[in-house]
Parts: sequence; C-alpha cells; structure tokens
Amino acid sequence: MEEKELVRLSQEGNEEAFASLVKKYKIKIFNLAWSLTRDHETADDMAQEVFIKAYFALPRFQFKSEFGTWLYRITVNHVKDYLRKKGRMNKMLIESKKESLLFLEDNTVRKENKYAEEQRRKLVHQAIQTLPEKYHVILSLRDIQGLPYGEISKILKISPGTVDSRLHRARKILREKLAPFLSQEGGNHEM
Amino acid sequence: MKCKNVERKISRSFDGLLKKEEKQALEEHLKDCPICQTKKEEYQNILNTLKGEDYPEPLPYFWERLQPKLKESKSYEPLTLWKQWGIRAIPISLIAVFLLTVAIILFLPNNNEELSQSGALLLRNLNPLQETTSLLEGVGVEDKNMMLIFTAMEEKNGTRR
Repeated sequence: MEEKELVRLSQEGNEEAFASLVKKYKIKIFNLAWSLTRDHETADDMAQEVFIKAYFALPRFQFKSEFGTWLYRITVNHVKDYLRKKGRMNKMLIESKKESLLFLEDNTVRKENKYAEEQRRKLVHQAIQTLPEKYHVILSLRDIQGLPYGEISKILKISPGTVDSRLHRARKILREKLAPFLSQEGGNHEM
Repeated sequence: MKCKNVERKISRSFDGLLKKEEKQALEEHLKDCPICQTKKEEYQNILNTLKGEDYPEPLPYFWERLQPKLKESKSYEPLTLWKQWGIRAIPISLIAVFLLTVAIILFLPNNNEELSQSGALLLRNLNPLQETTSLLEGVGVEDKNMMLIFTAMEEKNGTRR
C-alpha cells in the first residue's frame, strides 16, 4: 500500500495502517533522536513520544509535505524541547566532557587501534554536543543522517542557502574544536 | 584561489555541490597549499567518523510498547484537556458565581418581602380607600356582635376583660 494511503487510513484511526508507518520510520526517527541525545534509552523514549504526538496530530496533516519530512520535523522539535528542559543538566555534562577531551588527547586518540577509533568517535560526538543547538541539529541531519539539503530545508523551515551556510559554519566550528585531537587518517568522501 | 575562500569550498565539496571547474580549481589549490590540505583532511576525518558509525537499534518490541501508550493517551485525552484548562477554570468559575450572586442580591426585587394590602390593591388597579371603608364597615358589624357575646359571657362568669 502507498504511503499516502497509509497516512489517510491512519487519519481515520486505522491502527494497522499506523503500525505500518511506525515500522517504516521507527529506525530513522530513533537514529535522529539518538544522534541528538546520544543516549539509547532516551532516544527510544523520544521516538515513542514522537509517534504518539504524530498519531494525535495526524488529523491536522494536510499532505503539504512528505509524511517523513513532517515526522522528522516533529522529532527535531521534540528533541529540542527535551534538550532545552534538560539544559542545566547538559551544562554539567559539557563541563565534564571538556575535561574528558583533555584526557583523550593524551591517552587514546593517537593510538592506532580500535579502541582509539572508538574514542575518536566519542570525542567527535562530545564536541558536537557542545555546539549551539542549531549547529548540532544541522550536523545531525546532514552528516549523521545524510539527508539532502532540500529535505533539511523543509524540516527546519529555512532556505537551502541557509542550510548551506549554517552547515559550513557548524563544520568549521567543529573542525576548529577537534583539530588538535585529530590524527591524519583519510577517508572516502566524495571530492 | 585564496585560502580564505577555500574552506567553504572544501565543505561544499563533501556534499557534491561544486561545479566541475570549481572542483578542479580546488584540487589545484590543495596541491600547493599544505594548510588547506590539512584542513581538508581534518574535515574528512570528522565526516568519516560520523558516517562510519554503527547505529544502535530501538529497543525491542517498539510497536508492542507503543500501542498501549496510544490507547492510554486516547482514553486520557479529555482528562488531559481538563488538566490543561480545568485548573484555570476553577478560579474563573468561582469569581463568576460570586459576581452573579452579588448581582442577584443587589438588583433583583426581594421576593420574600410581602406586599402591603393597599400595595396589592394598587397593583390590581383597585381603589384601596374604597376597599378599606367596606372592610371597616364589615368588621364593625362583626365586632359589635362579638363584643355583645363576650360581654354577656363576662357578666355571667363574673370576670372582666
């Protein structure tokens, strides 16, 4: 069955249709929530709450955008609310992360083994968590979720030009934060 | 190409947004500029780290856990509305009831207050003096009879009123 039909049936209260939509999007929504919160259980809770919100907001969905885009928008807003509410706690975490960045520099990042790779990943994500919210969100959508500029523009309700400049700014800040800790490994990104 | 403009082009190149000639110019610049080359490698490192990650999956039985929550939310929907608006409605209702009571006391006629006899007659568009005169006359005859009866009884019993 087509997605539009599933959405239409869900709007009429058909639970099976909604279950199909949940099945299709649960991993994407969970991944986005996870990339923003970096906590498995919190991300799972967020994903569940997003689907509950979506279910009750469905009668107001007017097919002006793709259902997936609409769902992503709910997720971003929901997680933003959560992060704002947890603001004070986040500040404490950021302080502890700053300390751990120094620890990682001396002890693990430069070691060429799996553990070091895992630590580097941790380091990058910790640095992302310290970024202002708008940079954190755009990096999650583009560089972690791999969404195209057009969809990001619709989710965040900003122009593609703003996506471009905000993304560049976010990457630049992140690179500057991480430059002292990064080793010289290359990669496979398109050039 | 100036180093100042290169960083943005490096960033855009990872998204495949550069035109062929821009891409070529960037590659030429990077060959001769170790500083920009280092920046490019740093960007690449960060992006590889982000993209090469294994993501965890949601906890098991996602739908099975979600379904009862949907039902629960459905049944609590009116309660939620009451929670949202009911608390605000309580003081507003109390104030409204108080104002209504005050208005009733101040502005409505008091139903407990009985009309005087003449007032009632005026309300029925009758002349109170005429009615009063006839009443007095009627009462006068009865009173006379009663007085005679009582006087006769008092004399018989030897008591005085």
